[in-house]
Amino acid sequence: MFAYAFDWSVVLEHRHAFLLGAWLDIWVTAISFLLACVLGMAVALLRVSGVRLFRWPAFAYVQLVRGVPLLVFLYWVYFGLAVVLGVAFTGVQAAIIALTLTGSAYTAEIFRAAIGGVDRGQAEAATALGFARRSTFRHVVFPQAIRIALPPLGNTFVGLLKGATLISVIGVADMVFVAQDINLTYFTPFEPFTAVGLILIVLVAIFSLVVTGAERFLRLP
Amino acid sequence: MSALLAYAFRWSVVQESFGQLEHGLRITLELSLVALVLSLALGLIVALCRMAQFAPLRLAAYAYIQVFRAVSLYIYVLWVYFGIAGATGINLSPLTAGVIALTILNSAYMAEIYRSALGAVDRGQHEAATSLGFGRVRGFTTVVLPQAIRTAVPSLVNQFVDIVKDSSIVAIIGTMDLMGVTNQLVGFYRAPFELYTLVAFFYLTIVLVISALAAGLERHLQRHLR
Repeated sequence: MFAYAFDWSVVLEHRHAFLLGAWLDIWVTAISFLLACVLGMAVALLRVSGVRLFRWPAFAYVQLVRGVPLLVFLYWVYFGLAVVLGVAFTGVQAAIIALTLTGSAYTAEIFRAAIGGVDRGQAEAATALGFARRSTFRHVVFPQAIRIALPPLGNTFVGLLKGATLISVIGVADMVFVAQDINLTYFTPFEPFTAVGLILIVLVAIFSLVVTGAERFLRLP
Repeated sequence: MSALLAYAFRWSVVQESFGQLEHGLRITLELSLVALVLSLALGLIVALCRMAQFAPLRLAAYAYIQVFRAVSLYIYVLWVYFGIAGATGINLSPLTAGVIALTILNSAYMAEIYRSALGAVDRGQHEAATSLGFGRVRGFTTVVLPQAIRTAVPSLVNQFVDIVKDSSIVAIIGTMDLMGVTNQLVGFYRAPFELYTLVAFFYLTIVLVISALAAGLERHLQRHLR
């Protein structure tokens, strides 16, 4: 059964390529996550605004984006949108756009729930103390909402990181691309794909520790 | 804007593609449903192991959940389809590899959903079942589990939606599901924007239909509370 000769040296020899690929996945995820937070916050604010004209498009946006697979977005941006706009996106640009779109629908829901999760009395108390609407949000509601939002935002980051492993399909040389390249060069499929799986598990574990630490740091006395 | 206008949309392609996309739709639904049923069953087993008295079993289930929740479906599909096939000489079809990968990854999520739902069932329910003479197994299957499933349904439905969306990834290894068929049609018609927009609406429709059905199911399961 195990006629296959395991050869882990191919992985070790190319460890720099794997790490560079992993680094690409990490920073593409990080940039997309930050953009998704900004976009998601904007959508969430529209949704909690009292204005029906804003609330409905924001709701539709979230439903629409959450119903479409990331892979479809990747192809749609890289091949479809590029043709229509007449812009040749690089793989990384298309990946960031697609990941930001997908992520923003999730962050929008998280921020909406977090803003709703802050006790109404807090905003009322701020108003009673003479805070304007804008500073009530900035200094009273927002800091508390962020604490509620942190754990689910951590999950979204992990989700985006896992999504980022897809970007080799539009030609970005991330760690999965490296693994496929090694497989095609040496005909050793098992080792490189196991390696990228392990790298991802380690990255997720490290990130979970960071989020737990951040939660402890931000916890109110 | 001039570039926008320069592009001649060919929406007629959409109409011509419907027949083939229908075929892809069937594969997507089959793949997702089989993976759903299998991961529901496997997830329950893992959840029960996670809550077992026997420590090694509990630890093994914990490791299983942590590992498979951290791995991405794409890497796992590649690992099963190329890695396992290369190492053991067992050649799986893309569809089988897809079902295995979707089932195992999602069973880890399902296990956590079951576990929190089972934990939410009042202890008194189990004790009452025991005092009424139910055995351990009967008490679990007829008293505790039905209540847990009621709690778990919304999360399980979300998981099913993820399965449907993630099943598109299996197309990369060569299944002719919605995504695979679309990629082929794009190669044929050279109309990526129209076709990827179309397939996006296919997935969106599936997701909305599932959500609507789930809302009905939840109402049905809550009927005793009215």
